[in-house]
Amino acid sequence: MDEQLRQRLLTLQKIPGMVGRPGLLPLGIPAIDKVLGGGLTRGALHEIAAAGEIHLPAAAGFALGLAVSAPLPRLFWITEDMGLTESGAPHGAGIDAFGFAPERLVTVSTAHRRDLLWAMEEALRCRAVGAVIGEMRAGEIGTVAVRRLSLAAAESGTLALLLRATPPHDASTAATRWIVGTASSILERGQSEREMRSRFTAHLVRNRHGPAGSWILEWSDNDERLILATHAQPMAAPAFNRSHRQVA
Amino acid sequence: MLSLWLRRLSTDRIARSRNSSAPLVVTGRRGNAEIFVAVDDAAERLGLSPGIALAQARAMHPGIDTMPEDAEADATLLESVADWCLRYTPLVACDAPDGLLLDISGCAHLYGGERELVADLSGRLENAGFGYSLAVAGTIGAAWAAAHYGKPASHACGEERAILESLPLSALRLQTVTVAGLARVGLKQIGDIIDLPRAPLTARFGSDVLRQLDRALGHEHEPLNPRLPVAPYVAEQRFAEPIAREEDVLAITRRLARRLQFALERRGDGARRIELALFRTDGVVRRIATGTSRPLRDPDDIRELFVERLAALADAFDPGFGFDMARLSVVVAEPCPPEQIGIGGSEDASKLCRFVDRLSARLGPRRVHRLVAQDSHIPELAEAVLPAQAVNGDAGWAGFRQYRKETKLPPRPLRLLARPELIEAVAEVPDGPPLRFRWRRALHEVIAAEGPERIEGAWWSEHGGPARDYFRVEDKSGLRFWLFRSGLYRDLAQGAGAPTWFLHGTFA
Repeated sequence: MDEQLRQRLLTLQKIPGMVGRPGLLPLGIPAIDKVLGGGLTRGALHEIAAAGEIHLPAAAGFALGLAVSAPLPRLFWITEDMGLTESGAPHGAGIDAFGFAPERLVTVSTAHRRDLLWAMEEALRCRAVGAVIGEMRAGEIGTVAVRRLSLAAAESGTLALLLRATPPHDASTAATRWIVGTASSILERGQSEREMRSRFTAHLVRNRHGPAGSWILEWSDNDERLILATHAQPMAAPAFNRSHRQVA
Repeated sequence: MLSLWLRRLSTDRIARSRNSSAPLVVTGRRGNAEIFVAVDDAAERLGLSPGIALAQARAMHPGIDTMPEDAEADATLLESVADWCLRYTPLVACDAPDGLLLDISGCAHLYGGERELVADLSGRLENAGFGYSLAVAGTIGAAWAAAHYGKPASHACGEERAILESLPLSALRLQTVTVAGLARVGLKQIGDIIDLPRAPLTARFGSDVLRQLDRALGHEHEPLNPRLPVAPYVAEQRFAEPIAREEDVLAITRRLARRLQFALERRGDGARRIELALFRTDGVVRRIATGTSRPLRDPDDIRELFVERLAALADAFDPGFGFDMARLSVVVAEPCPPEQIGIGGSEDASKLCRFVDRLSARLGPRRVHRLVAQDSHIPELAEAVLPAQAVNGDAGWAGFRQYRKETKLPPRPLRLLARPELIEAVAEVPDGPPLRFRWRRALHEVIAAEGPERIEGAWWSEHGGPARDYFRVEDKSGLRFWLFRSGLYRDLAQGAGAPTWFLHGTFA
């Protein structure tokens, strides 16, 4: 009885991912998975902000790295026209190098923020889509919109990633919020002849299921997934890390 | 064949938006003189006609209104009348500058006969305030001649010869020079040349005369060139009371789609492009088209697409006083295998297709894309961004992966700029990677570089452009860029310009 009521209450509250952990996408990095409580929640909205506009490709790479492991193959990448001219369009050959087959990708360009949110929500509801990346330029997004996206994601169990060009100042109800920037692929001096890697600093600044944290990650071509950068120094994140405010 | 001549097209157009009833003429510049190109009925009663010089007419009748000619507006009006005439037949051709040709064979019975159709058309044209003259005949030539030169609203099916005989030669749509030439030898009416020996006539006046005559008499076929392609599947519905609500329009769309479904199933086709034409009571025709990513038959799916199209139109979908006729046509049909339901995987695929269709209907097909690998080594041509509805299968990426593995292709950027952006770069050695560069006013110090990867221009093309040396560089803060130097220093000796640097993309 007690259990039944609790279940009913939870369905009424519809807090995505809180109960039973319906779908978790483990990143395969124990340190991060532990903080996330097993992996990234599938039917929920995750915000990935670039540390600054120029870091957007890194944030996009990180988002792709997360979307690669979605259970359904199809990915929708929804952008604004302005974003395409400013930061360039997703390039198939580069996406392929990221372990993501370009034939799985459908890109949508929208003229208004309104269309972007509409298309994202519809894509999330479509149930035949594995993951949705919505990329928006600077600017605020209403809490209602975030809530709608979260609900749509929870309903279908689709991974929703909101990619933002600058770190937002608004409070968000997203399940997790990341701030991603590039990291130098040459961490030690005298190694300039080393192969260049896609390497990011990822700050987890909001996490519904646990503490925040910071890591340096890189894309591994061999494993086709994100790994912890081997020579990364552990980055201790202060409890209230607001470093992005100065960056922005 | 019905030929419709809107005698007063330009003046009728202006009269729609003017209050005065003074005689109206439209003037245009021919050579160095300002002359009349069109006059309305009132002006004609004053004895004015096209061709008179403006200054001369002003002296005779100071009270006339003059307007400059606007051929474009006339053409637009004619096209909208042509659209509106689609209610009678799908085969409507524009007979520029002021006429229309309607192939009404096989359509007249829907109105109860040719005379009834003509009466309906005349009534509506009169209500819309058009001066017109029309004729029905067995051939385009005879109908045209009768409409322009014959008795109003004449019918000449099977008796083309009798009608034509008494008409002047210019009714055959001949060049003015030819008509003048014929007049000089005393041939003024069509009846004069019908029974003349053909060889001398052709020898003197060219083959045009007899060809036009044969066409008018029906000895030779004259093709009609319809303004719009004829849809293979059409369903239409007329309403006793005009409908205006969006729900009604959608309901009628579904009903028409259901009718089309049977026809499509019988021939094993599916719709790839569908057009809904709504005929407003005041003569405006709304045409709303939408495409699909796979052959489609299901009426509910078709209705869904129009829900999105109407939502996207929003206020532009202006029902005015309502629509009195709706027509749903499948403009492009493709063979569509009978559907199998419930076999694993295909359900997801069809769900996805349906979603892509809805997105394309709402945002426009050019906003929903898939990336397609192209057979080119030039980075900006190596892939095409095509409407998702038009792409099927793996879009060539399997071939690309093979190629990358075989050639050990250097890495490509995650995002590619629409066009390479010019940067100021300083390189240590002429052919080496840059030391620092300035892009969008920010200075980047390069700490590592890979390359060059030389990509030659398209040597087979005149505009192939110079060779490029691509570098993948990383700056101090860890940002990774794809730069290239356009042009080689070795070419300087041959008179090529100094190489310039561009930024083409960014890596994650």
